[in-house]
Amino acid sequence: MSTQITLTSSDGVDVSVDRAVAERSVLIKNMLEDLGDSGEAIPIPNVSNRPFPCLGCVYYVRTSSPPSKSNGDDDDNRRKTTDIDEWDQKFMQVDQEMLFEIILAANYLDIKALLDVGCKTVANMIKGKSPEEIRKTFNIQNDFTPEEEDQIRRENEWAEE
Amino acid sequence: MVVSLGDLPEEILHSILCYLHPCSSAALEQTSHRFKNVTNGPLLWRRYCEFYYKSWDRKHEILQKLAVPVLSVDWKALFVLRYQIDRSVTRLLDSILASQTGRIEKFRAVIDYGSDAKDTLLRHSRVESGEDHLARRYYARALLTCLHRSIAVPEWAKLRRGEPVSLERALGAFDLFIPESGYGDLDEVKNTLTDLVAQFRASHLDMGVLRPRDKALSLASWLRDNDLTGIELGKEYHALEHNFLGLALKSPGHNSLPLISAAIYCYVAQEIGLNAHPCGFPFHVHVIVTPPPGLDMNGDTLSGEDVGLPMYLDPFRGARETPVSDLRDQLIFLGASATEQTAFLGQSLTSEIVLRCSRNIWTSIHSAPHHPDGPVSSVDVVSAKYASLWSSMLLSGDSRPMDLRHHLPLLMELFATDFPSDIFLVEQYIVPLFQGLFEHEHILESLHVMRAVDEIPKQVRRRSGENKNIGYTVGQVFRHRRYHYRAIITGWDSECGAGEQWMRRMGIDRLQAGRHQSFYHVLVEDRSVRYVAEENIELILPELSDLPPGLLTIAGKHFKRWDETARAFVSNVRDEYPDD
Repeated sequence: MSTQITLTSSDGVDVSVDRAVAERSVLIKNMLEDLGDSGEAIPIPNVSNRPFPCLGCVYYVRTSSPPSKSNGDDDDNRRKTTDIDEWDQKFMQVDQEMLFEIILAANYLDIKALLDVGCKTVANMIKGKSPEEIRKTFNIQNDFTPEEEDQIRRENEWAEE
Repeated sequence: MVVSLGDLPEEILHSILCYLHPCSSAALEQTSHRFKNVTNGPLLWRRYCEFYYKSWDRKHEILQKLAVPVLSVDWKALFVLRYQIDRSVTRLLDSILASQTGRIEKFRAVIDYGSDAKDTLLRHSRVESGEDHLARRYYARALLTCLHRSIAVPEWAKLRRGEPVSLERALGAFDLFIPESGYGDLDEVKNTLTDLVAQFRASHLDMGVLRPRDKALSLASWLRDNDLTGIELGKEYHALEHNFLGLALKSPGHNSLPLISAAIYCYVAQEIGLNAHPCGFPFHVHVIVTPPPGLDMNGDTLSGEDVGLPMYLDPFRGARETPVSDLRDQLIFLGASATEQTAFLGQSLTSEIVLRCSRNIWTSIHSAPHHPDGPVSSVDVVSAKYASLWSSMLLSGDSRPMDLRHHLPLLMELFATDFPSDIFLVEQYIVPLFQGLFEHEHILESLHVMRAVDEIPKQVRRRSGENKNIGYTVGQVFRHRRYHYRAIITGWDSECGAGEQWMRRMGIDRLQAGRHQSFYHVLVEDRSVRYVAEENIELILPELSDLPPGLLTIAGKHFKRWDETARAFVSNVRDEYPDD
């Protein structure tokens, strides 16, 4: 079985990666199993109109450290912290739109570690902000009537301070 | 197409929300209709409830709530309630730390939240740093153990009223007094025992066909082989930790006194269908196993009205049957009458076992070797003593008022110095014991005084005028010139403020500077509180690591933290000594 495989994006960019690395995407792993070991390039579908997110995902799995077994599935452990390691943080230094596209791609390609990092990154952007600050950060349109807004603010007074 | 946060599918938004603190979810909720919907999924709030709060008061019936469909419970409301309790407990604790006045009512308010207060207290009891972390840990831990005692004491009170209480609950109550046991609930002790039953069953699939006698013996040998009963060679028999059922089950060597070994044996035995109970034999608790009606211990059918003879075992020592004749001989040697022999060879009441455990603890405390630098017991001696006093007071029968009278001053002293948050337990459970006895008025009076003292702000002691010449300050650590113990100064008087009688008894006037020198209230490394003349104080400037860990724990009662530069503790009694 060849240890190197070639992935090709819809606009024809080829990337060569270790099979073990590529298999960290559950989607690609399944495709490899379906296609058999033909040695041909594996086409990666795009989830948006830009090829980068998917290739970015591949780049991520190729260069990041493999997920540690000990806390990979420990849900409690996972939720406890929004700490992101330095490498991941650098990887996520992209504009917001790209960040969401990477999240969507990671979700589509089924790369759990990357999806988690993406979600943590967004969570950190929300953390500690007031509703108005969150709206500004994510360009969210306030579609409440003043009455609705007032009521919802009162319902959430417990969380203030 | 431009992707924005709101465009992410529901399941991804849910993942993001799971990484957020619920307060941030509440902020996101207020931004738009889209996010109001996303943040109000009931699954999310159930998850927050489960993740942030592990202990739930009984009244929430949380296990039932978790079992029913998620939509039938208002999880968000439940979370908000717990969050508010969390905040309230923190505020109460902050306020307890901020002033020595009015603490009793604040203790009460925390304890009234029951198990809902536990997560918050646990969090504060583990703080490692911060401006007042020693005090925070001390009071959080005091309240936590008070909560545990308020679970334990009612069990013994039930026994006293003659209501049935299972042996493992009655003995597990002792573990709740001991912070080191790690138990916060009696069900946890039971669960540990239930696990043992499952292990035994799994390794003995042939149990069904065995004769009762063989069953009883194979259980005893299994427990022994797995070191679940008895004490390892070379361990001090009377070590305090051997007296606690839960601790014995949890600790690596499972060392336990005969009474605890017997209790472990009886629990498993009963679960596998043996009629086993601790036996009232003096000195060394045995186990008595009675055959089922109509059979003897060999499983043979008996004729007519015959009753099968019981067998005796000593699970502490191992898997041999103890012949009843041996036991009888020992009793005869002790001069026991025929009726006494019957009583000693019969089943023990649970209340009797609790009393024996209480006495064993007392014996352990007073017979264990005490070296200040020797091996420290893994169990806090003061807490153990307190457990022993509570159980013996609640369970010594009304026929023995002398025992009650004997224990009362000891209990009251411990309670006043180390466990003042228990005032409600004392009022509810100890006061009624003395109904009709002359002590009744005295207890009520002392409780009244405690409350009064608690409510009145402390008299402010400034370092001016007659106090100008006080040599040392609150928080300094010293070694006693004559007795060599280490202690921390917690307060001072410009001259000896103790009564005439005390001064005479202590020979104060024989001191070089007599009674007219500064005197200090001090907290000693053995947890005692003493009153020391200035001439006996030899300041030491220790490193934090030189101090015994026990001293650090109790220092929190009066001090906020250790000051590395001054090599002294930072006072938390500035409301009383503002200049120290």
